[in-house]
Amino acid sequence: MPPELVVTGMGVISAIGQGKAEFSSAMLDGKAAFNVMRRPGRQRDSAYIGAEIREMAFPPGIASQTLRAASLSSQAALVVLQEAWVEARLSDVDPSRIGLVVGGSNIQQRELTQIHDGYRGRSAFLRPTYALSFMDSDLCGFCTAQFGIRGSAYTVGGASASGQLAIIQAAQAVLADQVDVCVALGALMDLSYWECQGLRALGAMGSDRYADDPALACRPFDCDHDGFIFGESCGAVVIESSESSRRRGIKPYAALRGWGVAMDGNRNPEPSLVGETRAIQSALGAALLPPAQIDYVNPHGTGSIVGDETELKALGACGLTDAYLNATKSLIGHGLSAAGTVEVIATLLQMQAGQLHPTRNLENPVDSTFNWVRNKSIDHPIENALTLSMGFGGINTALCWRRM
Amino acid sequence: MTKMELLDLIERHTREILPGLDAHQFVASDRLVDLGANSVDRAEIAMLVQESLGLSVSRVELFKPKNIGELADFFLEKLDAA
Repeated sequence: MPPELVVTGMGVISAIGQGKAEFSSAMLDGKAAFNVMRRPGRQRDSAYIGAEIREMAFPPGIASQTLRAASLSSQAALVVLQEAWVEARLSDVDPSRIGLVVGGSNIQQRELTQIHDGYRGRSAFLRPTYALSFMDSDLCGFCTAQFGIRGSAYTVGGASASGQLAIIQAAQAVLADQVDVCVALGALMDLSYWECQGLRALGAMGSDRYADDPALACRPFDCDHDGFIFGESCGAVVIESSESSRRRGIKPYAALRGWGVAMDGNRNPEPSLVGETRAIQSALGAALLPPAQIDYVNPHGTGSIVGDETELKALGACGLTDAYLNATKSLIGHGLSAAGTVEVIATLLQMQAGQLHPTRNLENPVDSTFNWVRNKSIDHPIENALTLSMGFGGINTALCWRRM
Repeated sequence: MTKMELLDLIERHTREILPGLDAHQFVASDRLVDLGANSVDRAEIAMLVQESLGLSVSRVELFKPKNIGELADFFLEKLDAA
């Protein structure tokens, strides 16, 4: 019998709040923070809408030297890891038995673009730290140095499913006894105007239709959706066995009962009903749960016309039409690499609160037969939850969570 | 450019890379490593000085100066030669 895997610590930051308390309260109030993005390097003759983190509060004791040399993605990783680390009391764990999995690839494009633009024509003066920071694995070095992690640390990429893939990889590292505790980090995807333009050109990012009213732009599962709206976020989730958590006397948030990963064999962005169904069914199968016992689904739900429709069809095909459904991206936008991790945190915080958050801008659901949480939060004690992510290149992931 | 001006320049960029040095009074015998600069910090400081001077030198040559006074002398020589 494999050990039961549990979550013992979480840390989160998004445009609606830093830290679980602020994030959870904003989420349950249905707050959002969409606007024309203002971070340097996000716009070039454009007015892309998104949800940006305004200010970050850093833990005391972090040297200003450390922060100066840290990218936005590294800074976000630092604050969420610190929150999860303290909560899970990882200082009491042998550092050589702690691992880190960073979910995401090519996550620091805006920082790189700023450097390329700044040193064009005078590359002789390029700052030497560029040689470190252009690699995503810089986050592994940065975080292991800050927290003294001595087990393993590496990155995994699965486009917008990277955050869930990191959790799955962390779970597998614990199951394989490579480490006792593994932290999954959904890294902050720092888009530059190039990626925004590319995603817009591909038809994935929402249009300028709501340029005059950015609060209305992000509308997963609503008939007026026309693509995802970006949102900066980052999350950390601590995975270990329940036995390991008991040794430190920590009460876990939930048990990770099962997961599924399925590839469509498709390089393109199109979703696949077959692939999504396979991922969901394998997660339910691993969790030994019939679909009727899932009482809450946190869907991928980006606001993509074909993506939203396909996901609802997959839920229907898997017999998940009675579970409550909302869309976390309607509040915080699409964090891309971070989304899978941050939405798991949103799910477990709802489980803890006994409440489900509203879905903003869900005026006319594309399918009204589902059990939507619409314009206000509702009381509901989640027993078994399913969280879903899909990514470009035909990746589908599903995670099954049980209240403890 | 005088040696004093070069020392001021090195000091300014060192403070930029090592923001914790606010209270420190710089002297020519200061060694960057003793001020808390690791190898990457030292490379960054040297590059910022080169950028300010509009002068590019090889990384290997930068290993020779042992303190910021010698670093200032090194850059003065390079400026004279340029």
